[in-house]
Amino acid sequence: MSLFKVEGLVKRFGALLATDHVDLEVRAGEIHALIGPNGAGKSTLVNLISGLHAPDAGRIVLDGVAITGLPMHRRVEAGLSRCFQITSIFRDATVRDNLLLAAQAHAGSSMRFLRPRDAEPALFETAQALAERVGLAGQLERIAGALPHGAQRKLDVALALAARPKLLLLDEPMAGMGPEDSERMTELIHSLRSDMAILLIEHDMKAVFALADRISVLVYGRVLVAGDAATIKGHPQVQAVYLGTEELAVEEAAAA
Amino acid sequence: MTQDKHASAAARWTPWLALALLGAFPLLAPALGLDFYVGFVRRALIFALAAAGLNFILGFGGMAALGHAGFIGVGAYALVALVNAGVDSAWILWPAAVALAAGVAALIGLVALRTRGVYFIMITLAFAQMLYFIAVSLRVYGGDDGYNLPARPTLGLGLDLAHEPTLYWVVLALFAGVMALLNRATLSRFGHALTGIRDNETRMQAMGYPVFRLRLAAFAIAGAIAGLAGALLVTNNSFVSPAVMHWTQSATLIVMVVIGGVGRRWGGPVGAGVWILLEEFTKQYTDYWHLPLGVLLLLIVFLAPRGLVAVLQRKPRAVIAASPAGATE
Amino acid sequence: MTATLLIEQLLNGLGYGLMLFLLAAGLTLVFGIMDVMNLAHGSLFMGGAYVAAEVHTHNGSFVAAVGVAIAVVVMVALLLEVFLVRRLYGRDHLSQVLATFGLILIADDLVKMIWGPSPVMASAPAALAGPVELLSGLFYPAYRIVLLAAGVAVALGLYLLVNRTRIGMVVRAGASNRAMAEFMGVRVGRVFSLVFLLGAALAALAGALMGPITAVQIGMGEDILIPSLVVLVIGGIGSIRGALVAALLVGLVDTIGRAFVPMALATALPPTVVSDLAPAIAGLATYALMAGVLVFKPAGLFPARG
Repeated sequence: MSLFKVEGLVKRFGALLATDHVDLEVRAGEIHALIGPNGAGKSTLVNLISGLHAPDAGRIVLDGVAITGLPMHRRVEAGLSRCFQITSIFRDATVRDNLLLAAQAHAGSSMRFLRPRDAEPALFETAQALAERVGLAGQLERIAGALPHGAQRKLDVALALAARPKLLLLDEPMAGMGPEDSERMTELIHSLRSDMAILLIEHDMKAVFALADRISVLVYGRVLVAGDAATIKGHPQVQAVYLGTEELAVEEAAAA
Repeated sequence: MTQDKHASAAARWTPWLALALLGAFPLLAPALGLDFYVGFVRRALIFALAAAGLNFILGFGGMAALGHAGFIGVGAYALVALVNAGVDSAWILWPAAVALAAGVAALIGLVALRTRGVYFIMITLAFAQMLYFIAVSLRVYGGDDGYNLPARPTLGLGLDLAHEPTLYWVVLALFAGVMALLNRATLSRFGHALTGIRDNETRMQAMGYPVFRLRLAAFAIAGAIAGLAGALLVTNNSFVSPAVMHWTQSATLIVMVVIGGVGRRWGGPVGAGVWILLEEFTKQYTDYWHLPLGVLLLLIVFLAPRGLVAVLQRKPRAVIAASPAGATE
Repeated sequence: MTATLLIEQLLNGLGYGLMLFLLAAGLTLVFGIMDVMNLAHGSLFMGGAYVAAEVHTHNGSFVAAVGVAIAVVVMVALLLEVFLVRRLYGRDHLSQVLATFGLILIADDLVKMIWGPSPVMASAPAALAGPVELLSGLFYPAYRIVLLAAGVAVALGLYLLVNRTRIGMVVRAGASNRAMAEFMGVRVGRVFSLVFLLGAALAALAGALMGPITAVQIGMGEDILIPSLVVLVIGGIGSIRGALVAALLVGLVDTIGRAFVPMALATALPPTVVSDLAPAIAGLATYALMAGVLVFKPAGLFPARG
């Protein structure tokens, strides 16, 4: 049963067709990975879905609701949340302050001018819960910008989780991570599966094959093929276009 | 978010001490031979008000608006228009000025807030220039020559605004009231959202905040405060001319905020006070008073970029996370 | 409204536009390449006007006056660049606005100290004082024709410099992507200084040329700064072509607005209303133009930056 659908999405930047009639579907409870070589248009697609760019054509539907033309904050209301490939947090604030801001966004209106925000215990409880969810409970007092890279990525995810989304867009969560951090992030993503559908953009193939129920391969702005891990691994075109270049390099090194 | 949550004791009672001293000033002034300066301090308070409003959007909101004096003008001319039409009660004049300035700010914000960076600076400047030209062309209100108020607005309640100390205390009360509200606002949900937008707009959008609406509200609030300052300025001087909204006045307001400290709670008032004091002081000694002020600006930019409040609070400010009211650490 | 009047105002508009171009070209390069908002650019213009007026009054040769004005202003600009502007690279725009606003204040007082508070008399060279008959019945001041010619010559020269020379190519690269230009080995510091001095020379030239047809007084820098910034924004930051198109647009809109809006309004509205409304509309016209452009093209007409 399809929770999220992208139909015929098109985006042009001048003469460049960045997104070429893309169809994508994410089912409820599914982790759907989006892979593709650099420049394939994954980031553009994520930005189209989250609302940073407006598409030139096509539809985006979340849980039966068309969100195509909606501004970003309405998409969040509709159940979409994202985190960022380049960590986007509030560097000069504490982890707790970061999470409080995220909590506030989903706990009623921010047009309140007189009551001090810090007098709302519910927000603090939410921040605590979010921190525990991603494994940052002991870091609440630390300045976010001083955290190690892996912890910052976790915070990035936590900020997105505050929205209690129906669909979570994870844009290269493992970016810049070593093997240990990647494993922890993989565990975290796995633990989220029960609460939300996830669209995962990643280069880390180990994580992709460990997590994804289905995979869509994006090349030059269009979906080459979509299917489960076995289908993708065995698909000759995928191998040639995406994985093949690595094999070629290995062959050449062996011949030298 | 870099807001003092556990301000030092000195930082906490200094504003109250300042308020007490300011309140006592008209009583002490005659004894010190400083009668003339009651009007001067009053004028400084009015600019402190405008600067505080600007600091709200500039320091807390990250919006570098170079047209703020325009809203002072809107407030001032709203009052003039009503006085010209026969109204003389401050209870109508001042709120009307505030309302009109807020409305104009909201309309301008609807257009200007779609731009960023230098374009935002330019477009706010442009709108202020438009307001300036409108004021210049309104010959019924004196045009370039300005407008003289026949008498000060009336307040009733046994308070005679023509009496210098009375007007002083009214201005001081309004200033204190607005500062109290602004300080509350910076600690509120709105204030935190605003600084969040300043620090990382994309993330705030991605978290679902209605960023445009929040910015617009802040812009309108700052405009409203500027409108009040404009109304009080006309009341104080019994005169207004378009010069009050010339772009150099807008630049001066920004200078005040930066001198005091952008994003600091008292940055606006401190900066306004320092600037006006220096301006007055240097004017007494020389005709060429622009020069030392220009040099001061250069010194501030290169030596004290965080403003004077930061210099005064020399102890590094640790951001200590707050705990919910009532809980123990 | 006669054809002669229209042509005359068109020529005035073009002349004003070309002078604005001289100022905006410098501003757009400085802001586009060095990312420095220099409000004191108008003060360089003022310096050019005052020095030229002074030299012309004492010496009599207008060409010498212009030459000396440019030389003096460029030397001042060199000092400014070395000691102040250089320290503003990389700083936030607000700090730059403040520092250069401080320079405006200092410049205004320096001028007041040297020449006093009253406006200074700057006259056009005697040889150009009279009108020239362009077409039968159409007379136009000779001096303004020289102004137009000078403006066109400079525009052409700039075009050639920026588009046909190596140094121009370096400047364009810097305007469109500074980091990349640095990576490719461009001596960024030298280019910056050169651009700043070129901008100063253009501003001084504009000041020297405009002196005879405008009021040479303290604050003239601030008065021309705003229209220059409007041109900068409409044209697109970093683009000389944009600056030219925008400057001509602004010059024409402003001049024709002031000349013809009162006439147009007078056909429909009573004179008292017209005398209030017309200057307002004329003054507003360029700002409305800028707001309009920004609505459709938020980065200006020809933004150099991608």
